[in-house]
Amino acid sequence: ANFPTSASDAEQAVNAIYNTLRVPEYSFGLYPILDIMSDDAHKGSNLTDQRAIVGPYDNFTHVGTEASIKNWYSTLYQGVKRANVVIENVPNIVMDETLRARYLAEAHLLRGLFYLDLVRAWGDVPKITTVVAPLGLPRSAASEIYTLIEEDLTFARDNLWERHDERWSANDLGRVTIGTANALLARYYLWLGNFPQAEVAALAVINSHQYDLAASFGEAHSEAGEQGVESVFEIGSIRQEGLPIGGNQYGNVQGVRGIPNRGWGFNRPSFDLINSFEPGDPRLDSTVLDVGEWQDGIKIVGDTDTPEAYTNSLVYPGFPNGIGEKECYNQKVWTPGTNVPAQFGYNRRLVRYADVLLMAAEALNKNGKPDDALDYLNEVRARARGENPTILLDITETNEDALNEIILHERRVELALEGLRFWDLIRTNKAATVLAPYGYRADKHNLLAIPQTEADLNGWLNNPNW
Amino acid sequence: TVTDAVDGSPMPGVNVIVQGTSRGTATDAEGNYSLDIGQEEATLTFTLVGYKSQSVAVSTQTVVDVALEGDVTTLDDIVVIGYGVVKKSDLTGSVSSVRGADLTKVPAVSPMQALQGRVPGVQVVSTTGAPGAAPVVRIRGQGTFNDSSPIYVVDGVIVQDVDFLNSGDIESMEVLKDASSTAIYGARGANGVVMITTKRGKPGQEYPTISLSAEYSVQQLQNKIDLLNGRDFATYVNQFAPGSYNNVDVVPNTDWQELVFGTAPIQNYQFSAAGASAKIQYYIGLGYFKQEGIVEKSAYERITIKLNNTFHLSKNVRFGNNFTITPYKQTNTGGNAVFATYRALPVVTPRNPDGNFNAVPNVGNPLADIEYTNSSDRGIRGVGNLFGEVNFLDNAFTFRTSVGVDAKYFKNRAFTPVFFVSPQQQRSQNLLIKKFEDQATVLWENTLNFQKNFGDHHIDALAGFTMQNTTSEFLRLQSQNILRDDEDFWYFNQGSPITIIDSEKDENGADPKYNYSMISYLFRANYTYKGKYLFTASFRRDGSSKFTDINRYADFPSMAVGWNIIEEPFLQDVTFLDNLKLRASWGKTGNEKIEYLKIYSLVDNGVNAVFGQGDRLFSGATYGITGNPDLIWETTTQTDVGIEAGFFNNRLKVEMDYYRRITSDILIPLEVPGYLGNGSGAQITFNAGEILNRGFEFNVGWESKLDNGLGYRLGAVGTTIHNEVLKIQGGGSVSGQLLGPNSITRSIVGESIGSFYGYQVDGLFQNQGELNAYPHMDNVGVGDVRFVNINNDNKIDDSDRTSLGSPIPTMLYGISLGLDFKGFDFGLDFQGESGAEIMNYKETVRPDLYNFEAHVMDYWRGEGTSNSEPRPSEGGVNFLPSSRFVQSANFFRLRNLTLGYTVPKSITDRLAVKAARVYIRGTNVFTAKSFTGYSPEIANENPLDSKVDRGTYPIASIYSCGLNLTF
Repeated sequence: ANFPTSASDAEQAVNAIYNTLRVPEYSFGLYPILDIMSDDAHKGSNLTDQRAIVGPYDNFTHVGTEASIKNWYSTLYQGVKRANVVIENVPNIVMDETLRARYLAEAHLLRGLFYLDLVRAWGDVPKITTVVAPLGLPRSAASEIYTLIEEDLTFARDNLWERHDERWSANDLGRVTIGTANALLARYYLWLGNFPQAEVAALAVINSHQYDLAASFGEAHSEAGEQGVESVFEIGSIRQEGLPIGGNQYGNVQGVRGIPNRGWGFNRPSFDLINSFEPGDPRLDSTVLDVGEWQDGIKIVGDTDTPEAYTNSLVYPGFPNGIGEKECYNQKVWTPGTNVPAQFGYNRRLVRYADVLLMAAEALNKNGKPDDALDYLNEVRARARGENPTILLDITETNEDALNEIILHERRVELALEGLRFWDLIRTNKAATVLAPYGYRADKHNLLAIPQTEADLNGWLNNPNW
Repeated sequence: TVTDAVDGSPMPGVNVIVQGTSRGTATDAEGNYSLDIGQEEATLTFTLVGYKSQSVAVSTQTVVDVALEGDVTTLDDIVVIGYGVVKKSDLTGSVSSVRGADLTKVPAVSPMQALQGRVPGVQVVSTTGAPGAAPVVRIRGQGTFNDSSPIYVVDGVIVQDVDFLNSGDIESMEVLKDASSTAIYGARGANGVVMITTKRGKPGQEYPTISLSAEYSVQQLQNKIDLLNGRDFATYVNQFAPGSYNNVDVVPNTDWQELVFGTAPIQNYQFSAAGASAKIQYYIGLGYFKQEGIVEKSAYERITIKLNNTFHLSKNVRFGNNFTITPYKQTNTGGNAVFATYRALPVVTPRNPDGNFNAVPNVGNPLADIEYTNSSDRGIRGVGNLFGEVNFLDNAFTFRTSVGVDAKYFKNRAFTPVFFVSPQQQRSQNLLIKKFEDQATVLWENTLNFQKNFGDHHIDALAGFTMQNTTSEFLRLQSQNILRDDEDFWYFNQGSPITIIDSEKDENGADPKYNYSMISYLFRANYTYKGKYLFTASFRRDGSSKFTDINRYADFPSMAVGWNIIEEPFLQDVTFLDNLKLRASWGKTGNEKIEYLKIYSLVDNGVNAVFGQGDRLFSGATYGITGNPDLIWETTTQTDVGIEAGFFNNRLKVEMDYYRRITSDILIPLEVPGYLGNGSGAQITFNAGEILNRGFEFNVGWESKLDNGLGYRLGAVGTTIHNEVLKIQGGGSVSGQLLGPNSITRSIVGESIGSFYGYQVDGLFQNQGELNAYPHMDNVGVGDVRFVNINNDNKIDDSDRTSLGSPIPTMLYGISLGLDFKGFDFGLDFQGESGAEIMNYKETVRPDLYNFEAHVMDYWRGEGTSNSEPRPSEGGVNFLPSSRFVQSANFFRLRNLTLGYTVPKSITDRLAVKAARVYIRGTNVFTAKSFTGYSPEIANENPLDSKVDRGTYPIASIYSCGLNLTF
C-alpha cells in the first residue's frame, strides 16, 4: 500500500476515522431509530412523512429489507475499515514513536466503538481486522467480537493521553482520550453485566479529575458547552450543510420542522418520556422543545401542517386507541439559528461525564457500595436542581434493587434522546415489559435483522425470528 | 466502335492503346474512336475498369470493332481493411463498404448518420435531435454493459468518434464486423471497426478537380405529441379535483409545442481541390456546416479543414500527411425545455399582459427556461498523421511508419442571469460555470508488409508494432455575482470569487477514459491458392496500462477461410452466375473501453474531521471503495459464416452472413458485502457478465439499365439481432440483475440488456368486487389500474415488478431505390426497425400536476367503459412505471428522398464547368410508427437506459436544396 506512508498521511488517515462519526448513516442509519424503538420517542416529522420507512421502528414492524438497517450496518463497517487502514499501515511508517502510539490507540478505540454498536445491534457479525477483507466470510461469534472490543479499548486506554495531557494542542480537542477509553469500557462492561470491571473503568474516569459536570444541564448540550468539561467524547461539527465541509446531519434530521426551518423533525419526544420527569425537573424544559416556545430569541412555530396534539396513525398492540403525541422536538440537538446549515453544526455528544457518573453509581450499587453510588447519583441530581432546593431532592435509598431502579430512572431523564435508552432497556432486561405494548418481542427484537441484502449476498441465516 | 458484350450498348471512355507505344485514345460517348497507328502491324489494347481487357491485332483493317466483357474479378473493388487493403474477392472477413455520394445524402454532423439503414449489421441511432448530438453506433448488437461503440480508423489514426469529419471529404467507409477483420485491432476490436479513407488526388489528374457544393435545408418538427388542450385539461382535472376550473370554456389554451418548436435552417458548403502530378498527390478540402435547432438557442457550427498530401520521392519511397482540423461551436438549449414543453399546463398563458413570463406550476415555463439558459461549447479538434512508406526487394516488401495525433481542446461556458418567474423558477444571484478540457493521443505505428505471387500461390503477410499514449485534464469552476449579465463580462475576476462545485466529480482532474497507454504487436497472413482457396490468420498482442502488471497483456487471434466457388471448373458453364463465394471466420477481440480505475483502491481525500472549539476542519484521507486488481479484459468471441453471390452479369448481388458473438468477462459493478467497509450499497467491479448477440445479415442489390436509357437500382439490407444476457455473476455470491437509472430497466439472465422493468398492468378494477378480490396497493380504487401480483404473495409491492420488453430491435432493415434517366436522378431510402419497445417515461412519475397526453380523455367512466384508461387522477398508482407506458418502437421511415438533375454537357461545356447538378431532397420525410412521442429512435450510450424517453429533443424533418459544381 502506498498510503499512508508518512506521519502526515497517518494523521489524515486517523482523521478519516473520525469523519465516519459525521457520516449521516452512522447515526442509526440516518434516522434515530434507537430512540424511536425506545419508549422515549416516536417517529416524528409530520404524520405521513417516512411513515412506511421510519414508522415501523416505532411499533416494531420493521423488516430486514429496510434501508436504514443496511445503511447503519455498512457505515459502521466503513468506520472499521478506516480504523484498519491505520492499524495495518501506520506501524510501517518511519515517524515519531509517541505520536504513532497515539494514532494507533485512537484507531483501536474508534474500531472498538464501531464494533460495540455492531455487536449490540446484530449479535454475531464478521470480525474484520484487515483493510481488505475476503468475500464469503461467515458471521463471527459475538463472543469473538466482545473480545476484540475489550482488546481495542484496553489498548487505547493504555496508549492514549489524558484529556489535559500537555502533549495535546488546542486543535486536538475532540480526539479520544484515556477518559474516552475508560468510559466506553464502563459502557461495555455494563452491557455485559460485568459490574466490578464497570466500576473500575467508570471510577478511573472520575478519579482522573479530567472532567466535571457543566455548570448547568442546558449548557452541557448547548453550543457554548461544546467540547466543554463534561464532554468525554463528542463529535465536532461545523455549521455547514455537507459532510466534507464539516456538517453533521444528525441534528438536521431531528431539527425543528417548518418555522424556523431547521430540519426534518424526526425523533419526537413521547408523552411517556415527558411524564417520566419528576415534577419541576428543569431538565424537561431543556430536553423537549415545544411549539410556541422561544429559544435563543427565536419562536418555535413548527410544522404548520401537523396538529399540535393528535393521535398518531401507527398501530401498537398495547395501545388500541393509538398513542397521543404533541408536536415537539428534541431540544438537545438545538443550535441557535434559523436556517438548516446552522443545525448541521450540532456536536453530537457520544459520552457525557453525567453518563459516567451514573454508570459508576449503577456499578457501585450492584457491587454492594450504595453509599458511594448515592454520591455520584446525587451529584447529577444536584446539577440538575441548580439553585432550586425544592426539587430533585437527594436520594437516600440504599436497597440495591430500589436504588438500581432510581438510577435507571435517572439515566432515562438525564440522558433522554441520546441513543442510550433502548440499550439500557435491553441490558437490564426491561425491554420485554416496557416495550411490549409497542410491539417488542423478546425473542426477536433484542437484535436487529441482518440487512436482507447482506444475508443474501453472504448466504447467512438471519437473526432468530427475522 | 466499342460495345458492351452483354447488351451491345456503346461504351464511352474505353482506353485504346497501341501496344508497346504511348499512343492511344479513348472512346467517345457513342463508343467510337479513331487512332493513327502508323504503317506497321500493331496490336490494340482496349481497357476499361470493370471489364476484361482485350487485345486485337490490326493488320489491314481500318475499322476495329470490339465487344468488351465484364470482368468479375476486377469488378470487385479494393476493400480497405486494418493495416492494408485487399481485393474483395480475396476477402475472408465480413466487411461492408459505403462510398461516394451515399455518404453525403444526410445533412448531419456525423458521417455515421449516412450509414443509417444502409449497412447490414450496423445500427445508427440518434441520441437526440439537438444540433451536434452524436449518434449511438452499434455493430451487431449490444456487446457489453459498458461502452459498446466501435472504434474508428481515419486514414490509419484510431479515434473514438468521427464528428470532426466532413462527409464530403470521405472517399469510402468500411465497416469491419467479423472477428477475422477486427482482430487485427485486438483489444479495441470487440465492438467493430469503422475504417474511413479520406479523399486524395488520383494519379493522372494533371489539372485539379475543383468541386463546389452548397446545400440549404429547413428543418421542422416531424409530428406533435397529442397533448390535452386547455379545455380538455380543465375538464379532466375537474374529474379528480372538482371545482378546479369553474368554466372550462374560458380557460386559456396554450399549445406549448407550437411556441417552443419552430423551423430552423441547416447550411452546408464545401470546397475541394484534388489533383496529382507525377510526384505529388494532393487534396484540399474546406467545409462549413451550421445547423440551428428547431428549439431556439440550440445550434451547431463547424468548419472543417482537410489537407491530404502524398509526396513520391522516388518510385519506391513516399511520404505524406492526412490532416483534419475542425473548430466548432455548439449551443445548448436548457436541458429541461423539451420535457417542460411536454408537461407545461395548457391552461397557463406563456406571458402576462406586461410581457413577463408567467409562472407555469410544477415544471417551470419552458420559454423562460430557454431564455435564461446560456450554455455553449467551443472546441477545436485536430486529427492527422505523417507517414512514410518504402518498397524494397522488387516491391515485395513495404515498410510503413506513421505518427498520428488526435488532439482536442474544448471549453464549456454556462451563464444564468438573475431572473424571477416563480419561486420554483428563479435565480437570485447570477451564475457562471466554466469547464476546460484537453485530450491528446499520440499513436506511432510501424508495419512491414510482404506480398508476392509464387505461381498459383499468393502470400500477403503483415507484421507490426504500435504504441499509443493518451492524456487529458479538465478544470471546472463556477462563480456567482458577476457584475453584468452581458456576455462581455462572463469571466472570473475579483469580486466574483471562484468556488468549487460541490459535486461528485472532481473539479480538476483527468478523465480516466483518456489517460492510458497501449503497446501492441500484430501479425497477419493471407494465403490464396489460384484465387480459389483463401486463408487468413491474424494475431494481435495488446498491452494496456488500464490493467495491473499480471493482467496487462492479452492475445487476440483470428482465423478465416474462403472459397471462391465461382473459380471452380464445374461452375464455368453456369452463365447466369458471376460470383459465388463462401467464407467463415472465428476469432477473439477485446473491449478495453472500461473504467480502469476500478482496479485500484483509490484514496479519497476530503474525508475531514472537526476538532477544537473553533469549528476548524482538519483534512483526512483514507481508502475509498476497494478496487479489484484481478480485472481482465472483456473478450468477445465471434463466429461468422457468409456467402456472396452475383447473378446475371452481377446485376443481382447477394451477400448473407450469420454471426454469433459472445462477450465474456464483462465488467459489472456488483454490490458487495457491507463488511468490506466500502459504505452502504457500495459496488465493486468484477468480470462477471456474459452476453450473446447473434443473427443474420443480408444485403441484396439489383442494378441495371433499360434499353431506353433508364437506369435503375434496388437494394435491401437487413439484420436480425438476438441479444441475451447469458450470465451475471460475481462477488461473494450471485447478484442476478443489473438495474438501470431509476430502476426503469433491469438486465437479467435470459433477457436482453436493458429490458424495461415495472408493473405489469392487467386491465382496470371494474367494480368493488374485483378490487376486494385482488391484491392492490393502498389508495387504489375502482377504475384504477390492476397490477399483476407477479410473486403471488397477496400484496402488490416492488417485488411484483417484472420485465416489460426489450429496447433492442430484433430486426433492422433498409430499402433503397434509385432511378436515373436523361440527366435526372431520383432516389428513395427507407429505413426501419422492429421488435423493440420504448418506455414513455416522460408520462410516468407525477408528484405534481402536469399536462397529460390526449388519450387520457378516454378515461374509465364506470364499469365496462374502459379497460385501459384508468379513472382520472393527478398521478399516483396509475402513473407508476408499468406496462401501460411501454410502447412498440417499431418504425418504418422514408429516410431520404432525392430528385436531382445533372445539367447536360452541352450547357456545362459552355460555362467552363465540368459537371453541374442541382437537387432537392427530403430527410425523415415520413415515419410510420405507433409510438406517441416524437421519435422511437432514442438511444443512449448507457445500455441500461436505452429507449427511455425522458422528454428527448425531437428529431426533425429536413428539406434541402443543393447544387454541386465540378470544374
